[in-house]
Amino acid sequence: MKAFRALLLTEIRNFTRDRMMLFFTLLFPLVFILLFGFLMGGMGDVEHATLGVYLESQDDEDTFMQTLERAGLRDIRPFDSLQSLEDNMADGQIDFGVVWNGAVLRFIYDPSRLQENYAFQQLANGIGAGFNMQRQDAVPAINVVRIEAGEIESISWFNLVLPGILAFTILSSGLFAISGHLTQMKQRNILDRLIVTPMSPVALLLAIALVRLVVGALSTLITLGVGILVFKLHFTIDWLRYGIFVICSTLGTMGLGTLIALIVRRPSSAGNVANAAAMIMMFMAGIYFPVSFMPAFMRTLSRLMPLTHMANVMRHVTGVLDMSDLRFWMTSAAFLGIALILFPLMARYIVRPLRN
Amino acid sequence: MKDVLALAKSHVVTALRERVTLFWFLVFPAFLLTILTLIFGQVGQEENVHFSITLINHDHAESSNLPFSATRVIEETLGSLSEARESGAQPLFTLIQPAPGSDGDAFLEQELVQIRRGNRAAVLVLPGGFDEAVLSGILDETDRSGATAKLYMSHTSVASETASSIIEQILAEIDRTILIQTGRFDETQAVAVVTDWIGQEEEETRYVDFVLPGIILMGFFTNGLFGVPGTILFNRDRKVLRRYWVTPLSVGRYLAGFGLGHLSLCVVQFALLFALGKYAFGATIQFTHPLSIIILVLAAITFMAFGFFIAALAKSANAGMAVANILNMPMMFLSGMFFPLVGLPIFMMVIVYANPVIYLLEALRQSVGVQTSTLMPFPWTFIVPLFWIALCSLVTIRRLRWDVAR
Repeated sequence: MKAFRALLLTEIRNFTRDRMMLFFTLLFPLVFILLFGFLMGGMGDVEHATLGVYLESQDDEDTFMQTLERAGLRDIRPFDSLQSLEDNMADGQIDFGVVWNGAVLRFIYDPSRLQENYAFQQLANGIGAGFNMQRQDAVPAINVVRIEAGEIESISWFNLVLPGILAFTILSSGLFAISGHLTQMKQRNILDRLIVTPMSPVALLLAIALVRLVVGALSTLITLGVGILVFKLHFTIDWLRYGIFVICSTLGTMGLGTLIALIVRRPSSAGNVANAAAMIMMFMAGIYFPVSFMPAFMRTLSRLMPLTHMANVMRHVTGVLDMSDLRFWMTSAAFLGIALILFPLMARYIVRPLRN
Repeated sequence: MKDVLALAKSHVVTALRERVTLFWFLVFPAFLLTILTLIFGQVGQEENVHFSITLINHDHAESSNLPFSATRVIEETLGSLSEARESGAQPLFTLIQPAPGSDGDAFLEQELVQIRRGNRAAVLVLPGGFDEAVLSGILDETDRSGATAKLYMSHTSVASETASSIIEQILAEIDRTILIQTGRFDETQAVAVVTDWIGQEEEETRYVDFVLPGIILMGFFTNGLFGVPGTILFNRDRKVLRRYWVTPLSVGRYLAGFGLGHLSLCVVQFALLFALGKYAFGATIQFTHPLSIIILVLAAITFMAFGFFIAALAKSANAGMAVANILNMPMMFLSGMFFPLVGLPIFMMVIVYANPVIYLLEALRQSVGVQTSTLMPFPWTFIVPLFWIALCSLVTIRRLRWDVAR
């Protein structure tokens, strides 16, 4: 216990002295949040789309404008020429446009906004159908009313992204924590000296893990706080489950990091392998891009990624995604299990000096 | 000249031998191109998407004696869309319905939980009296209410949003058919709704054509930002450069060889990514226009200059990598490479306007015909990167140390 305490104190000192590590662990996730918060704030929300309107003909103008008002768009801006409408679309001021010439309703899109055009086209279809019905004073025999089934109604796409970023932060720091630190200790010959003492390899791994666990948890809290304060995001956080999952997932990803420590020799290689693994998982786990549009084989691959499950549980504990109790506890237990199996198993292989 | 070529060759061979270099310069851009094309290239194509939806029809008993049943048409239509069009293909929907005689309300509660858990995309509920309300809407001139179906969905899920839009379109089409057949809507009087694209575009750009120039530039960008300072600083820290300086090789010739090697790597990178885009995903754009080639060369030089800029500022290789990491994300994501730059606050727009990546990307997209306009007038797409090349070169000349301190 005394040895563990000494190792823990050393690790705390090491970490607080390493400004670079402090920056990347605590502040770098903020760069992510600020960047994506502003970039993705309005994404996936067609109700906040801005429609530019150019009326070439005054026929049925009132009916047309009434239809547009009922479409639920945030902003409808009139233009006095097609050129001006297209220029504003090209500048990103207008999301999509419509031209009414008395005979044809022409919806105009920016071909470079590929990720959003599908949603705009759906909205345009509704406007076109509504306008046709209103022109003939026809009343639909079948209406559809959308009802939000989720518990938080006023949720944005970024509400889903932020817990995913928290999960990514835990994963990337967890993967690198053990592998990067151990390889660095090996390279500086620190491990050679420690190994000749009665120190237990598991105690060393636990000391590293404990310090990184606290810093990682702090980092997620700072990121979450910035999301709430800067972007006015609303989360219903189950703090007990949040704490449990941050601990389990951090330890689990550190456990996975021991596998990296097993195969690499240099700290830079550990960083590169951890980075590469985290980046691939980030794109496959539906953090920024929806998994539901992936082909079936990629959806299957996505389900095999630890980050997919981490992101879903983080969404659950922040109140944006429902999840059964069984699934929450099973996922948490799985990550803890990885740590409990891999730490003692790998300790004897990775806590050893570098052989030249 | 021989020494310059030897250095260039050594730079290329060393880079290609490094597994890490291969990953970030080739594997990762190729992976990104694949995943983005597979995700966004098929948005809206029904044959490639699949949703689990639930239909709860509370109107079974009431509709049995009526001459026309809209609920039956809806059930049959959704049922037909849950059957694969050809063997081995995936149907649009997996349709879930309650067992006959089961408690509809309890089933609905259970299905709403499934939506919240992401296991269902949408739940369509046809309430009791639905068919009667439809018939009343058709036959009774004074009844303007019609029947209302409830569509439960989740705004947090893109799959749910999309499935809901598809279901709404299906019901709108059924409604339209009913109205046409009962003489309430004259299709010949309906105005046509057409789709158009800004500029000269006749059709929407294919996603792979749009994303490929960005991925190629991303490859060049990571190559310059990480590869250049990585090579220079690691070689300096490990005293490899010192060994060069005891030979008759001058810094100028070393730079010429290094630059040539770097540009050769960019050519390899371009060729492989272009081949992947063209042969694996059917990209149709060509980079053969002289303007495209000029922009690609300008991009490679600009990002190489950035690499030297980082090498000049960093005291060690690790610090250089850290600086590159810090610059990487904002420069890449604030270039419009992956997300449209719409509605950003002023301080972020300042970064956007100063970011050479956006100018090069827009110019390249314009030169291959997938973008119609640029952030700034076209000359700026050259002025800004050239300014950065000049600035980075100046800083490099003044600050870069070619040997470790003695």
